[in-house]
Amino acid sequence: MISIAQNTPGKTVLLMGNEAIARGALEAGVKVCAAYPGNPSSEIIGTLAKVAKEMGLHVEWSVNEKVALEVAAAASLAGLRGLCAMKQNGLNVASDFLLNLNLTGCKGGLVLVVADDPAAVSSSNEEDSRIFAKLADLPLLEPADFQEAKEMTKMAFEISEKLELPVLIRSVTRVSHARGNVSLDELPKSGPKPKFETSQPRLAFPATANHKVLHEKLNKAKQMFEESAFNFYRGPKKPEWMLVTSGSGWMYALEAVVNLKVQDRVGILKVGTTWPLPENFVLNHLTKSDRILFIEEVDPFLENNVKEIYAQNCLDLGLKAFSGKANKIVPDVGELNPEIVTHAIMNLLNVLYEPRPAEYAQRVHEATSELVPTRALGFCAGCPHRATYWAIKVALALDGKGGFVLGDIGCYSLGMGPSGFGQMKTLHAMGSGAGLACGFGQLDRFGLEQPVLAVCGDSTFYHAAMPALANAYYNGASFLLLLLDNSATAMTGFQPHPGTGSTATGNEAPVIDLKAICEVFGARVEVVDPFDVATTVETLLRLLQDEKGVKVLILKRECALVSAKHQKRPYKVEVDTKRCLGESCGCNRLCTRIFKCPGLMWDMESGKACVDEAICTGCGVCAEICPATAIRKEAA
Amino acid sequence: MNRGLKGLEEKVLDRELCAACGACLSLCPYLRSWKGRVAKIDNCKLEEGRCFAYCPRTEVDLDEVFQRVFGKGYEDIEMGPVRKIVMARAKSRIWTKKAQTGGVVSALFDFALREGVVQAGILTPRDGDMLPQGKVITRRKEILRCVGSSYVAGPTLEALNRGPWNGKERIGIVGLPCQVLALARMKASKLEKRTPIDRVDLVIGLFCTWALDYKPFMAFLNERVGRRSIEKLNITPPPERILEVTAGNKLYRIPVDDIRPFIRPSCRVCMDMTAELSDLSVGTVEGKEGWNTVIVRTAIGENLLRRAKKAGIIETRTLPQNNLNHLIEASLLKKRRALGALNEKGGIEKGYFRLSAHLIKRILSEAKEAAP
Amino acid sequence: MFLSKDPFNVIIGGVGGQGNVLASQILGEILVSQGYVITIGETYGASQRGGAVMSHLRISGKDQFSPLIPEGQCDLLVALEPVEGLRILDFYGNPKVMTLLNTRTIHPIDVISGDATYPEVSRIISEIKELSRRVWTLNATEIALEMGDPIFSNIVMLGALCAMDVLPINREGFESIIKDLLPSRRLDENMKAFDKGREAVQEI
Repeated sequence: MISIAQNTPGKTVLLMGNEAIARGALEAGVKVCAAYPGNPSSEIIGTLAKVAKEMGLHVEWSVNEKVALEVAAAASLAGLRGLCAMKQNGLNVASDFLLNLNLTGCKGGLVLVVADDPAAVSSSNEEDSRIFAKLADLPLLEPADFQEAKEMTKMAFEISEKLELPVLIRSVTRVSHARGNVSLDELPKSGPKPKFETSQPRLAFPATANHKVLHEKLNKAKQMFEESAFNFYRGPKKPEWMLVTSGSGWMYALEAVVNLKVQDRVGILKVGTTWPLPENFVLNHLTKSDRILFIEEVDPFLENNVKEIYAQNCLDLGLKAFSGKANKIVPDVGELNPEIVTHAIMNLLNVLYEPRPAEYAQRVHEATSELVPTRALGFCAGCPHRATYWAIKVALALDGKGGFVLGDIGCYSLGMGPSGFGQMKTLHAMGSGAGLACGFGQLDRFGLEQPVLAVCGDSTFYHAAMPALANAYYNGASFLLLLLDNSATAMTGFQPHPGTGSTATGNEAPVIDLKAICEVFGARVEVVDPFDVATTVETLLRLLQDEKGVKVLILKRECALVSAKHQKRPYKVEVDTKRCLGESCGCNRLCTRIFKCPGLMWDMESGKACVDEAICTGCGVCAEICPATAIRKEAA
Repeated sequence: MNRGLKGLEEKVLDRELCAACGACLSLCPYLRSWKGRVAKIDNCKLEEGRCFAYCPRTEVDLDEVFQRVFGKGYEDIEMGPVRKIVMARAKSRIWTKKAQTGGVVSALFDFALREGVVQAGILTPRDGDMLPQGKVITRRKEILRCVGSSYVAGPTLEALNRGPWNGKERIGIVGLPCQVLALARMKASKLEKRTPIDRVDLVIGLFCTWALDYKPFMAFLNERVGRRSIEKLNITPPPERILEVTAGNKLYRIPVDDIRPFIRPSCRVCMDMTAELSDLSVGTVEGKEGWNTVIVRTAIGENLLRRAKKAGIIETRTLPQNNLNHLIEASLLKKRRALGALNEKGGIEKGYFRLSAHLIKRILSEAKEAAP
Repeated sequence: MFLSKDPFNVIIGGVGGQGNVLASQILGEILVSQGYVITIGETYGASQRGGAVMSHLRISGKDQFSPLIPEGQCDLLVALEPVEGLRILDFYGNPKVMTLLNTRTIHPIDVISGDATYPEVSRIISEIKELSRRVWTLNATEIALEMGDPIFSNIVMLGALCAMDVLPINREGFESIIKDLLPSRRLDENMKAFDKGREAVQEI
């Protein structure tokens, strides 16, 4: 593997944005790194974990983002440099600590990287984390490309130590997960020894006084940012239109202006120190043009803050027209892409542009709409969650009381769609499934007759569901919690957690037994293998009849992708076409039409199911549910 | 109109007309039952299917069904085709000791098995559970476990679809009127048969006024008698009408009116008290403890009864006129009630069976007003 | 510099799990080591679960381009799956595009469940031929399955790409990057897959 710890200053390598951030932290001499996996941030700590031993770092996957930030902050309070990374939802979880840490300040550089997921490609929600910088009065930098990702991270540690404040870096999918050229610099030799200065307690109290101090620090940051090399302008002296952009918008804007051939009409002001905005820098550039277009990811954060500066100084600046998300020239939801930026400029400048001949476009559209089927997401072949949701579906149908499943975050969130037979009926935040169950589980006294179920993954459980379980026991709620233990934090890349027996750096770790915790929290616990569908259905039905208290059913079966890495497939699966009933009465294509495992295919000519050997992982569940016992599984 | 699962769902399951006879179960993965309730697991896209064709609550053309079984239409409106009607009881204490009344069904079935009239049967063994589950029975000692009434509807016919079968055995079935109707529909259906319906040679029907829904009835019983194992249920004849429950060596007496809420809605629209499509139908004789009423309908039924009598398994006597009159009254009353219930639900024409208007008129005029 | 235009835009697309990310990374590494400025954009996370995926590879002599190729500006399409190839051309194709196509299909769930049909592969190929300036095909998955594991199919495709001689990549460059990126015990197998791809690819 290309190592981000290579000692090759001056070399140019291809790095993912997240790897560049990790490298930046290494070049800054970071010592303690903590995170909870979250797309698109996971590779930051994931990469550092791989080089932790050789670089002498402590790198951990913490149980949740609040603890992760506390871990990194502790290093900082002891004078070492600490790094914490998370996705937008993680910042929500860590925010209570952050909004006290800003008042206590810190010592060694502390950098918090939040990677947003515009358009929620792999998230439950869409959110712009930059607002936390304004809320917490903390500096925030936005890298626009890969080199910047490294440089900003490195610089952020210095800024953090100068101000004695944590510094935020906001990245997005298109920077974090994209790869580009990064030129490396030197790695530091050694660092300071940690010491917590007990003569300098870190207390948020007295809050008002500390709040004032915080404002002063923020002002200092503003002054520092006036001269920052991360902010610059490119274009004509007096452009017709000025684009003001930060983050991924920069690369889109550059290319759009070239494609539209409007380099002489449009200038681009790139902002890297997004908060606090250096006022003089902004004001100077606002004089260049009366027509401003803002290009940024998710919320009009930069847009509104620039407008605030403008409003404060409008008498001097005169009339200006601002475009962006406020007037929907750029969509106010979803992710930026080259077309959005191109069309915005086209509309405002009245430019005609045809990316390709219209006849070609029409031809290819026609062919595609005629021939190309949609390709929906679903559980992988051999995923235990498919088997679990199948068993839930059957059990709830047989029970016939309108039972429903409250959902949570993970691969199993796909249970809301056809892949999970539409079983999951709510989806909010980490731990919300069990949390909502604590509420629904109290409604029987008002006449609620429906059984209440919640699903929760193993990693999600350690992150957030334990307080809900304690609450349920203490306050007497009644529900059935289904713990989906696939031995991994799968959705984000199979990271280990307190149940898997190893740490981020590959060391052996004690296992915190799920069954034992649930029993301490007063639940009746049973364990089944979801691949044994009949037993799982039976167990679910039995547990659904028990009316009072919390029952936990642990569905224990390793993730198919994790299994594939360390063992051969358990079964070779084949369809006996002589027995297969196909579409006829008695089956009507149960395996492909309803169960929908991608390891199966439908042979239209013969009217029978068959196995796609390029996809099938040999789990054998389809063999168990086939009504004609036409699917054979043989030990491989 | 859909004559597959979609049609079954709309016409029967969604309207709570399901009799839980079991004819649609173990045919496909989309219908399963649990604790006496039939549930749809998922959709089936077929326009036509066996579930709809076999169901006794979808599109039953009564004339057609009776024509096929008896060679004549639905004309014997009193209690179906009757060759002979007697009262009977088993002679051996093996059958009468545990029986509900005369032990005739078990004795006859045992005889049929022993004589090779059938090689296997579907009965409902009672293993301390009130819910009858059909099971394939091939040995005499298994029959003893099936003795006694539970008044609860269970999907007996699922066992016919599920087996296990060796592919050759002749089969006998004991069932309630709805199940017997389903069997007749199965035999008549032109859809591909993948279950051994054509090897069913003997059908013994049981008289039935109504059957109870297992889950709510059990919840009720458990409340009244605690969670003791229930050994026997018996409903005493009018005017008393008490449900006697023997549980944990105690006898509990519960007014029948208290359990009426648990009668399956499907029973309220049922036109058949005496299992009119069977070879033999067996019920109690009011006022004569230890005796069964036996209606003989087909040659098969007649032969079996005659041989059993000759072999000293069964003894018979003439059924007193009084009892016969009561039987006819009760049978017609059930039909009248069913027609009334269908009328309430939106008209007899919207019901699950087809019957000529003049026959409906005859039934209504011949059935006397209800005596409780 | 080899590039016929700057930036030269490559899309490697297919179904989640087919290995487009690794393929694009290998390609990118080879080109960076030769002094090009490369940007690679990916769709991650949920897409692994059987959805449609793409890697956008921007090759430039001097500038760092955005990780998303603009509409209609794909210069070279490496399609790991037939309908995915057509789907990508729908937005990114143009009359000058060159296409390398793996002819082995992967049925989407909607097809498996009977809610959609998968068209004849020959039809897809002929459409793609109409919509591209040059087309090459091979059944990379079949070759990989013959080697014992479908996981090699993306390496087979890279071998084919090498033989097409439209990018400045060669066998030595590939081998050197593979040594760095993948476990050494797998080197022989990967080189075998690469070579099979070189031999099997055909321009149509």
